[in-house]
Amino acid sequence: MNSDDPLATESFQQLVVEPRLPEVLRFLGYPKGVFPPDPMKQSIEQVLTRALPGLEPRGTFSIYAVRAHTRRSLALGSETIAGNIGEFLHGASRVAVLVVTAGRGITELSTEAWGAGDSLAGWAFDAIGSWAAEAAADALTQQISSHLGADEGLTLRYSPGYCGMDLSQQRTIFGLTRPGSIGVSLLPSLLMQPMKSVSGLVGLGPRELVGVNLSPCDRCLQIGCHMRR
Amino acid sequence: MLPSYPPDDMHDFSKLQEAVLAGNSAAAVAAARQALSEGADPLDLVLHGISPAMAEVGRLFEAGDYFVPELLISARATKEVFVLIRPLLAKQGAQPTGRVVLGTVQGDLHDIGKNLVAALLEGGGFEVIDLGVSVSPEKFIAAVADKKAQIVGLSALLTTTLPAMKTTLDAFRSAGLRDRVKVMIGGAPVTQSFADTIGADGYGENAASAVQLARRLVGV
Repeated sequence: MNSDDPLATESFQQLVVEPRLPEVLRFLGYPKGVFPPDPMKQSIEQVLTRALPGLEPRGTFSIYAVRAHTRRSLALGSETIAGNIGEFLHGASRVAVLVVTAGRGITELSTEAWGAGDSLAGWAFDAIGSWAAEAAADALTQQISSHLGADEGLTLRYSPGYCGMDLSQQRTIFGLTRPGSIGVSLLPSLLMQPMKSVSGLVGLGPRELVGVNLSPCDRCLQIGCHMRR
Repeated sequence: MLPSYPPDDMHDFSKLQEAVLAGNSAAAVAAARQALSEGADPLDLVLHGISPAMAEVGRLFEAGDYFVPELLISARATKEVFVLIRPLLAKQGAQPTGRVVLGTVQGDLHDIGKNLVAALLEGGGFEVIDLGVSVSPEKFIAAVADKKAQIVGLSALLTTTLPAMKTTLDAFRSAGLRDRVKVMIGGAPVTQSFADTIGADGYGENAASAVQLARRLVGV
């Protein structure tokens, strides 16, 4: 085995995501704990029912031993990822590189709804797609946790463009795993296709070290971000 | 706070305002029909019915009492009323609030923010020419010239496609059209600083503020 090869690679063509209205509402723009009254709540629930058959959550990950890291870099396989991610994943002995998608169908539903003049459904389908991509990432992270040893834990998940990694690192992440196995590709603009897709890194390591990871949200000025942790 | 009517005002638009606030399209159209049947001037429906209601919707959004879904259903209600009264307004020679060409810049396929702004602008009485996604500078220029738009709105959701906003503005300058159109920009990675750097006329932090900006840019 080449030392640049991943320790493990897995792909899942059907991740299980369970919609919970409070989570979906956050992606629709409602703050945590705020529920719209009827009839809005009913309208949203109806759109959610229509959305579920359009979701195709899939994911893939590859786990690498950390070859080297500094506060501003992280070396995995033959690649080096630049940014504060080196600091955020301090303590991790291995890193899972992941890509997930909610599939094309939900974006098509959104586009059709906007085109038909149903802006609420268009907005809601898009938000549900965003929720589903994050839910798929959570489901894949559960699968990653099966690779933990005794007294090991996972770090938070970090994505390019948000968390200590410039969006340009997307190419590096795609080179470290197998997005084609789940039908995800990267455009020259670094936009993933299907659009409702998420990529990122999760660290694996001793629980007492990875449990004290910094949250990039502590440094971020976007207070109203629905992704805030 | 919605305006109350002086005692000698013949037309009470409170039903229309309430329907718009509630996002009830059917009730808004019914209230508009009733007002018209009672002799209301369609322009008054806009000035005293729709506009104050949408201003209140915007205030509720800024106050954190309304959220994007509420904005959308209110805007849809006003759009339905405009469908009803636009032919009547046209007969009077009334023009739309403004004419806006919208699009996501070249290389970017995100459309949700643009769609949201389009929906709210239409709810605010603007005529919107939506060019879609990944729009070239040439296509923006052609649409502005063809439709005699007062405003062009550029959307981008990726840091990698932000430069296309400057490219588009430069193209307007090269075409000699920069002084004939107001440029507003928006999207997650966009900042006021970036807007100032590239010489845009305004930056909309969110969809609701984009509508207020558009109104300011056309001078209403």
